[in-house]
Amino acid sequence: MGRYVLRRLGQMVIVLLGATLILFACLFVIPGDPVGSLGGSERARDPAVVKQLREQYGLDKPLIVQYGTYVGKLVQGDMGEDYTQRRQVTEILMPKLINTSKLAVAAMAIDVLLGAAVGILAALKRYSLLDTVVTLITTLLVGFPTFVIGMLMLNLFAVQLKWVPVIGDPSDPVQLILPAFTLAIIDAALVARLMRGTMLEVLRADYVKTAIAKGVPKRQVLLKHVMRNSVIPVVTYLGISFGGLMGGAIITETIFNWDGIGMAMSTAIQQQNNPVVVAVATWTVAIFVVLNLVVDLLYAMLDPRIRLS
Amino acid sequence: MRLTKAMRWTVVAASTVLAVAACSNGGSTSSNGAKPSQNNNAPAKDGGTFRLGIVEPTAIDPYNTQESEGTLVTQALFTGLTSVDADGKLSNALAESRTPNDDCSQWTFKIKSGTTFSNGEAVDAESFIRGWTRAAAKDAASDVAYHMAEIDGFDKLQDGSATTFSGLTAPDPNTLVVKLAIKDCEFDLRTFHTVFSPVTKDAGPATNKTYNDQPIGNGPFKLDGPWQHNSKITLVRNDSYGLTKAHLDKVEISILNSANADQLEYQGFQAGQFDWARMPTEQLGAAKAVYEPKGEFLNWDANGMNYILPITFNGPLKSKEAREAVSYAIDRDAIVAGVFKGFRNKATTLVPPAFKDAYQPGVCTSCGKQDKDKAKELAAKAGLTPGTKLYFGYNTGGGHDAWVQAVAQQLKEVLGLDVQIDGIPFKELLKKEQGPDATGLYRAAWGADYPTPGNFLNPLLSTSAINEDPATHEVQGDNRGRYSNPAFDALLQKATASKDQAERTKLYQQAEKLAIGDDLALIPLWNRTQQRVANTEKWVNLSYDFNENPTLSKVSQK
Repeated sequence: MGRYVLRRLGQMVIVLLGATLILFACLFVIPGDPVGSLGGSERARDPAVVKQLREQYGLDKPLIVQYGTYVGKLVQGDMGEDYTQRRQVTEILMPKLINTSKLAVAAMAIDVLLGAAVGILAALKRYSLLDTVVTLITTLLVGFPTFVIGMLMLNLFAVQLKWVPVIGDPSDPVQLILPAFTLAIIDAALVARLMRGTMLEVLRADYVKTAIAKGVPKRQVLLKHVMRNSVIPVVTYLGISFGGLMGGAIITETIFNWDGIGMAMSTAIQQQNNPVVVAVATWTVAIFVVLNLVVDLLYAMLDPRIRLS
Repeated sequence: MRLTKAMRWTVVAASTVLAVAACSNGGSTSSNGAKPSQNNNAPAKDGGTFRLGIVEPTAIDPYNTQESEGTLVTQALFTGLTSVDADGKLSNALAESRTPNDDCSQWTFKIKSGTTFSNGEAVDAESFIRGWTRAAAKDAASDVAYHMAEIDGFDKLQDGSATTFSGLTAPDPNTLVVKLAIKDCEFDLRTFHTVFSPVTKDAGPATNKTYNDQPIGNGPFKLDGPWQHNSKITLVRNDSYGLTKAHLDKVEISILNSANADQLEYQGFQAGQFDWARMPTEQLGAAKAVYEPKGEFLNWDANGMNYILPITFNGPLKSKEAREAVSYAIDRDAIVAGVFKGFRNKATTLVPPAFKDAYQPGVCTSCGKQDKDKAKELAAKAGLTPGTKLYFGYNTGGGHDAWVQAVAQQLKEVLGLDVQIDGIPFKELLKKEQGPDATGLYRAAWGADYPTPGNFLNPLLSTSAINEDPATHEVQGDNRGRYSNPAFDALLQKATASKDQAERTKLYQQAEKLAIGDDLALIPLWNRTQQRVANTEKWVNLSYDFNENPTLSKVSQK
């Protein structure tokens, strides 16, 4: 097990190196000079300043040299300076990472608590009124675009009812509610449907019938046999979904002025602020690799038939 | 309303229940019948917190303050030699006098004595020299230092061969002498730009990150703690300010996402969280209907111009007839009414109406009414035959798509041109525009950095502003249409060499008549018309300044 984890982490380094190399190559292909115009406006930069900045950021050197320098600094934890504000990329991104994580964790909690609970209830009370209502609502929600839900929530609770400020302090838990729900609601609906489906399948399985026939208490059957076996696809889904959330949720962040990774990425791409683009992308890749590993480890815990080797 | 923690979580629970139920609850607008007082001479009352949202500025340290958001903060923190009102009229701030010598190669500024920075340090000529030198230094790589390019010794600072500004001297603490390498009788106009601010002794070089985030200035406000990036900036009144003190206790500036800042600002204003806001274009009509009757809707032609930049050195628009044909074929009135719902004003000049003295409406004769026959006639004369390929580049993400489509459609309909629209990010567009293969039309806009028509005409149209790189043949200046006319250059030179303001204005008008009226080197479209909502129910003396920001130093409570 320990060896397996080590090997996977070793692979991660290779994946990260590959990712940065591809990113560098892609950024090189994009036409336009990344320091050719002013960050905040649509104006050409003074040629003397362009020259100075190109020297300062090594943009006058061949791509392979730039990449080498970048990787050399990266292993020391230095991700360079951004091109507009000229601040350390790590310093810029750290608060954004924290904000994104907060939102992702809150959304994930809603997904699990609300989605899974509703799915389980619906499966247990199959074809009841509750089940029908859940199926109806989740079907509707899955079809809703995030921005519609977000705009509706913001307009209602912040602009009209004024229960929460439109623009608030991100350290205030109240500010987290609307974006977390916006982000989670569609996912929660998907989780509920997925949970219901797999649960119904497991409930029909022979070993569950056998357990019930043997006279094992229902509670125990549900917890030990049904839950454990039906949760695997849900864990897979949640793992992928959490990775996506940690990579930033551009639409939700935009609507609620949530200063996260998603917004940083979209602005940086527009401004060709390459150090930020590379940093965010590298971060997203790293998160996915780690989460995949965590999901694989969870499988092994949940299903003894799966062996890690 | 302040919520306790328990109450907050109750709100969470309740909100989920109400989310569905309240969707049918249409907008509720507050309707107290109070009439806003427009009396700007009311006795000012001190106190209050003014709140607004901006996008993250590039810098608030004067060495690199550039866009209007950064300028809002830097102007609150620093006061320079001169200031400018909303109409572009220059007046003395810390300067008591500003005098050029006979040939305008040297300027002497007398500085008001006895004023201090917010840390108590005296503001003298040395503080100015320090600030200017710091911005012009090579390592600063300042985007705005080029405004000092006329000053003797600037080049040496920029290439790193000097560390002192040889053109600046201080014969006594209250006198600043500026020697110019390029004579300019309008040099004093530049000094209102924030890059000409004085700085304290411990400001250090422009690379000093501490000062970048928490600059100590001599302005009507000072920072309450360092700049919290992407979150907020808080200003408090500077009670030791050397000129007329501000009335506001505090200014709370929230920093918003750039992608939808106007939307967030307007929502914040509607929720009573902001006192000043921009609006998304689609919501201007609705906002006007609600806020104009209350006197809270501001609408004005600001310092700026939207135009099409034709490439004049090669391609289909080389001849002035071809450019006129394009201009006549555009139905500006229809686009203003259709795309902009009337919230832009049609332009018939390059120098905008904000420059009252120099403004000469109608100088662009082809900018009036659409004239299809004239357009066709001129196109035939210029060889701009139906089916001719015409490139039209614009930058995406700036909300330009709709009107670019409309213009292209009109050119197709009227002239039968094969217009090739190319929407790309700004940096790519710029690269294309600068390149030796540039051709056709480009979307463009310009705002003056200091209040003179020369700041439109010179950088956009003078031969020296082409500044072609001899190796790559790329244009490095802002005259990317490559218009070059010796008679026009001569008029501009005469203008900057004239000490008489009225004569200068006249020369600028002649130059505009030549480049726009006769040659149509740029094709004006519409003014930079601006809209804001402002909480005038609560504040008096709340208006906009030259940089389209609220007049923070004058606002006071009712």
